[in-house]
Amino acid sequence: MRASFVFSEVITGLRRNVTMTIAMILTTAISLGMFGGGLLFVRTIDKMKASYLDDVEVTVYLTEDISANDKDCTGEPCASIRQALESNQAVESVVFEDRNEAYERFKRIFEGQPELVELARPEALPASLHVKLFDPARSDVIVQEFSGQAGVANVDDQNKFLDRFFSLLNSGRNGTFIIALIAALAAVLLIANTIQVSAYTRRTEVGIMRLVGATRWYTQLPFLLEAVVAGALGAIIGVGGLITLKYVALDRILEATGGAIPKIELLDVLFPVAPILLGVSMLISAITGYVTLRLYVRH
Amino acid sequence: MIRLDSVSKVYKTSARPALDGVSVDVDKGEFVFLIGPSGSGKSTFLRLLLREEVPTKGRVMVSNFDVAKMARRRIPRLRQTIGCVFQDFRLLTNKTVAENVAFALEVIGKPKRTITKVVPEVLELVGLDGKADRMPNELSGGEQQRVAIARAFVNRPLVLLADEPTGNLDPDTSQDIMLLLERINRTGTTVLMATHDHSIVDSMRRRVVELHLGRVIRDDKRGVYGVGR
Repeated sequence: MRASFVFSEVITGLRRNVTMTIAMILTTAISLGMFGGGLLFVRTIDKMKASYLDDVEVTVYLTEDISANDKDCTGEPCASIRQALESNQAVESVVFEDRNEAYERFKRIFEGQPELVELARPEALPASLHVKLFDPARSDVIVQEFSGQAGVANVDDQNKFLDRFFSLLNSGRNGTFIIALIAALAAVLLIANTIQVSAYTRRTEVGIMRLVGATRWYTQLPFLLEAVVAGALGAIIGVGGLITLKYVALDRILEATGGAIPKIELLDVLFPVAPILLGVSMLISAITGYVTLRLYVRH
Repeated sequence: MIRLDSVSKVYKTSARPALDGVSVDVDKGEFVFLIGPSGSGKSTFLRLLLREEVPTKGRVMVSNFDVAKMARRRIPRLRQTIGCVFQDFRLLTNKTVAENVAFALEVIGKPKRTITKVVPEVLELVGLDGKADRMPNELSGGEQQRVAIARAFVNRPLVLLADEPTGNLDPDTSQDIMLLLERINRTGTTVLMATHDHSIVDSMRRRVVELHLGRVIRDDKRGVYGVGR
């Protein structure tokens, strides 16, 4: 196999068909860009889950009566609620927070909004028991058991809020993947079509190659490589697009969430997303090329 | 070199067989004309030798290849032992004369060293030395056919198949092409030429195999095209 010959055939083929080649590369790039975006979504969700779930608590807010009179949760019914929580198998730790501590925390959280702190009074905040679970995903049990008990005002499960938040991100991810899939279908059809056109414009060459006894590799490898090269270029442009998007838009948008959603790092894009896109793209192009040649181009 | 043994070929789209029980034996180094009207089966005959088609019945041998039975992946080997020339030359218009000839060697993986040595030799043999860098459309029909013959012959095939090689050429040029084919034949290459050209067949006095409606109706050692045609 003479590499220089095959290589020059590939270049000739791509140049001869330049509008189709550009269309093929751009569609591939869009599809892969979307797919890469979906992968970044997944990665972001994973990162958030890892960092949030550790801190997720169930908070048992106590009634006004306890908040006002039981400063250290030694009286009833606070003590027995605490005891019940502590002896629960799912519970890792329980921390009591009286209304003064709650007020301090409130001030810390809303440091940036002094007018809010101004309005708040310790008396407006309930005392609470902060419950940390071994498995935050199984908070339902605690919520069910302690809701409505004497001395309990209400039970707040941060997990529930996170669930809603994550399901929003998940649908974003799914949407991205669906668009990526549609674009991928268009890209695959374009690749198949380009190869057919390419094979048609070179039918004389291919006819002569067959007659003089060129092997299937020689006659078809140039077409196959055309598709793979276009796929690789598409992947590179797609990754370039993702990096541009990160610096131009995503960084600013994610910064505006105040760190609630972690920033996407350049490293996240370059690895593992970029090699995945490149690999997927070249593999799919090669398969599409191979199938097209088998179906439409006679050897 | 070439042997057809009771070969029949029926195309799906036609009720009448294109070839019907054809048996022909061609020795190494022979020059054979294959004649007959359009639709007599000449093209099918040639296509069977190249394994472009598979016979419906019978056996086709070319050199040591059992053409009908051989595995697909061995077809390139068969075709490397056969050179082909056509009425319409089939040159690559975007390549020079030398590149056209070299192409036939490049695509079967011959090393560059061999190609740069062999191509000028074969161009000289066909009388095109000095025209190596011309483009096909700068050449006359006769010269283009010489390029095609050079390309068919450059890999030194055992068999040269020529399908109406003079069909697009004037009588004088045709005569030159025939002289060239004869020269190639003298190197020991078996030549099988399908043609309609009476004067050429008559003047060459070579073996003539005549097909009619898919059957061999004549096989003369030193024939002419035929009386009254």
